[in-house]
Amino acid sequence: MDKFIELGMDMAALWGQYWDRYLSGIRSTLILAVVATLIGCLIGLICGILNTIPYAKNDPLPKRFLLKLIRVVVRIYVEVFRGTPMVLQAVFIYYGLPYFTDQQIMFRGNSGMWLAAIIIVSINTGAYMAESVRGGIISIDPGQTEGAKAIGMTHVQTMTSVILPQALRNILPQIGNNFIINIKDTSVMFIIGFIEFFGQHRNIVGNNYMYFQSAAIEMIGYLCMTLVASFLLRLLERRMDGADSYELAQADQLTMAAGTYSHPSRGTPFDERSKEQRERIRQELKHGRTRGDR
Amino acid sequence: MSNTILEVRHLSKTFGKNEVLRDIDFTVRAGDVTSIIGASGSGKSTLLRCINLLETPTAGAILFHGQDITGKGMKAAAYRSKVGMVFQSFNLFNNMTVLDNCMVGQIKVLKKSKDEAKENAMKYLERVGMAPYINAKPRQISGGQKQRVAIARALAMEPEVLLFDEPTSALDPEMVGEVLDVMRSLADGGMTMLVVTHEMAFARDVSNHVVFMSEGVICEEGDPKEVFSNPKQQRTQEFLSRFARG
Repeated sequence: MDKFIELGMDMAALWGQYWDRYLSGIRSTLILAVVATLIGCLIGLICGILNTIPYAKNDPLPKRFLLKLIRVVVRIYVEVFRGTPMVLQAVFIYYGLPYFTDQQIMFRGNSGMWLAAIIIVSINTGAYMAESVRGGIISIDPGQTEGAKAIGMTHVQTMTSVILPQALRNILPQIGNNFIINIKDTSVMFIIGFIEFFGQHRNIVGNNYMYFQSAAIEMIGYLCMTLVASFLLRLLERRMDGADSYELAQADQLTMAAGTYSHPSRGTPFDERSKEQRERIRQELKHGRTRGDR
Repeated sequence: MSNTILEVRHLSKTFGKNEVLRDIDFTVRAGDVTSIIGASGSGKSTLLRCINLLETPTAGAILFHGQDITGKGMKAAAYRSKVGMVFQSFNLFNNMTVLDNCMVGQIKVLKKSKDEAKENAMKYLERVGMAPYINAKPRQISGGQKQRVAIARALAMEPEVLLFDEPTSALDPEMVGEVLDVMRSLADGGMTMLVVTHEMAFARDVSNHVVFMSEGVICEEGDPKEVFSNPKQQRTQEFLSRFARG
């Protein structure tokens, strides 16, 4: 037990001394995760949509060729960026681009580092999201597409008004997943010198060798960030689902529609009136109907 | 002779090696209510889906006001907006309310203004008795109600022909009644309809033309009273006798 107390005191001491650096780390982590997830989703959306453009056997050859080509390119992009570690991608892009372009393209200074980090995390997220979006689109009942086509909608109209709103709702948990993964995995950006939450930890323990205590602060910090993210995403999901009930639009309140809601005077199964009703039915079953049929 | 809207000429459709439709030939005139009957798997639904170009015919032609719509360079979307379709599984847009379902086509395809679209949608929703439910999502209403909304959605596009693909097959007997009532009133109102159905009473009493299909070909067609009371083909007799008994 006293171990925990000691740990707690060390953590408090660390926080007291370096709280501004931890907080600035959290800020960088969150900004990078939010921006990169948004851009990544956009990339994924574009890839997913391009990937699901339908073509028939009797379409003109250039159209078929182009669509096939797009699918191949997207496939390669997805496989490469999903199949290699983000740390190495960071190295390849941050150091590789200047190397191949003879220092023409370079990520200079702090803003260059931010740019590189955002690019790397974005294209990584995009690779994951491309597959999620594709899955989300093909999971929508083909009947929805047919319904839209039957009233004369084009493919673009069908997509924007009918399919994508439903697909996006279905892949929202996936977007949340990616966001949470990004909060944690941006920590590998230390490889290009990007200082976020984990980077701050590395700097701080470099001064005082309190590895474990600082790591505990990191653990709690990351957990808080991801818990808040999960909560907000749940909230968003509920918002998108809309209300469970709906209002009857009725000018004339006397025309009650059958079976949709109970008439006010009929009450709920729990109130006094229905207790009386239940009792009457019980008596009827026992002694037969006393009031006569009306 | 009244003016012809749709002509199906020597239409064939194969899925791989499976020949589903063979040399189908018939005509729909303005105001006609044509029922297509026949056993399951006889190609009725495929025929309807070909007419709406949801399936591409393998051979033959479909003439809409004399113009072949299966030909190259024809805009399928523009044609479909003039030919409404009601599906067995409703296919209402799950992400929209009842009202939006009936408005989206008018706004996006017919480029009507929002107010205009709403007024028009309300007109048809009232006609099918679904006006009180405009704020509901499809998942919140019953099958029969969904189908009535689907009919209103198709009507709101003001099509020249309305295709029904077994509109009551997914409904329980009570709901079948409410949907058939709506269809009957449409027929009385002079709507041109092409109905694939297993409701023999509807085919006999409401339609003025019956097409009996069997194994991908039109086996017999003609006046409903004639076909039902005095079928000429043996296949038709067998099919109808089963219904008479059941």
